[in-house]
Amino acid sequence: MTPLSGALKPDAPDGSAKFTVRDLDFYYGDFHALTGMNIDIRENSVTAFIGPSGCGKSTFLRCLNRMNDLIPGTRVDGTITLDGQDIYSSGVDPVDLRRRVGMIFQQPNPFPMSIYDNVAFGPRLHGMKKKDELDAVVEQALMRANLWKEVKDIMDRGGLTLSGGQQQRLCIARVLAVQPDVLLMDEPCSAIDPTSVQKVEDLMDELKNTVTIIIVTHNMQQAARVSQETAFFLQERQGEAAELIEFGRTTDIFTSPHDRRTEDYITGRFG
Amino acid sequence: MREGYRNELKATKADVVETGRLVIEMTRDAVTSLVEGDVDLAERVIASDDAIDSRCLALEERALEIIATQFPVARDLRLLYSLAHISMHMERMGDLGVNIAKAARRTAARRGPRTLYDLIRAQGNLVHRVLEAMLDAFETNDLELAYKLKEMDEPIDHLFKQFFRELSRLQDEDDIEWASSMVLASRYLERIADHAVDIGERLVYMVTGAFEAFDETNEGQEP
Repeated sequence: MTPLSGALKPDAPDGSAKFTVRDLDFYYGDFHALTGMNIDIRENSVTAFIGPSGCGKSTFLRCLNRMNDLIPGTRVDGTITLDGQDIYSSGVDPVDLRRRVGMIFQQPNPFPMSIYDNVAFGPRLHGMKKKDELDAVVEQALMRANLWKEVKDIMDRGGLTLSGGQQQRLCIARVLAVQPDVLLMDEPCSAIDPTSVQKVEDLMDELKNTVTIIIVTHNMQQAARVSQETAFFLQERQGEAAELIEFGRTTDIFTSPHDRRTEDYITGRFG
Repeated sequence: MREGYRNELKATKADVVETGRLVIEMTRDAVTSLVEGDVDLAERVIASDDAIDSRCLALEERALEIIATQFPVARDLRLLYSLAHISMHMERMGDLGVNIAKAARRTAARRGPRTLYDLIRAQGNLVHRVLEAMLDAFETNDLELAYKLKEMDEPIDHLFKQFFRELSRLQDEDDIEWASSMVLASRYLERIADHAVDIGERLVYMVTGAFEAFDETNEGQEP
């Protein structure tokens, strides 16, 4: 392992990094929220972000698709490249970036429309109009989200009539319908039942073959189960910027972490 | 955070130390019974093995239960994972103590040459030192002491070889029968110390997370 300032970098084969983050600092106005972040996110794998509440995991996640741009007064220093291109450069359209880097939230948020229209929403927004093309995209996205069998006969029913777990998979299908490269998942299983959690985790395992997944989770067992690499974030003192303390193979993080703070957190000694 | 869990880990570790103390006591008594021809003591040693076996089994069960219910990670996981190995080694040390006590029972009626008793007593003392050091290293996560175990084991191996050489000088048939029990006892003592060295390797893993073999030549030997 080669230590970088602000992180430990796992050995990644050349060219396999989807995201490369270097010396990233992030500010909410005057508040310095993140400092000195360095990380390479491996393509087509699951990377978990763990750490206590308020440690900057979600803030960092939202830097990766420029969701923070929507908050006035935020500022980013350093670089984040996606497939080698700086996502904060002037030539990058944030809307197109968010298509490539989709996001799933803690609370399933289907639109108040039919299951079909929920999934077709993105492709329509990007100009797809033909019914047969849309049908194919919707079916494929629902199949990839392991929801097709459950909803294929009720496509006209409202998305909000589904169970919480189904709604979350519907949201995943909605994101998949626009063919993203990356899926950012911000505590995607915190608000759903254990059976649905299992389904979402199985889904992540399948999707990682074609999509790069980054998941923020408070459930360390989940991080250990679903991810290949894990990053530990920590805000050492109230009011200070959060740091990326350690980044490594999930197996290493959960058996022999390098940093005492990582070990203390994951063994429940604080947090 | 997780006070109950932390206390459970501490109690489990204390159980290992307690079991280790019983193994040390048993080994010492086994050697005494052999050297002094004390059959009663040998019988008590043999009887005490059941307690060690059940403690070792209970330790494994306890470790499994914590793993199943508490999702231990990092140093906690390494401790619990190591416990399974350590309890297995301690259980085998107990069995070897029983074997020494059985040798004491077989040889008690006949007194052999003094030099061989002296050798086995000296070997017993060295084994005692290794076991104490092993237990101290476990109790205090003392890496330096864990690494020393291999070095401390070497004179025990030498004494076993010396024992063998002394044995070859015996001529009388009775002596040889007696001495074969004694040489086995010496071998058991040497194996007990090897188990302590193996536990030392586990201690290094437990503390650092790195698997290290102190000595590959111990692998594949009988218990």
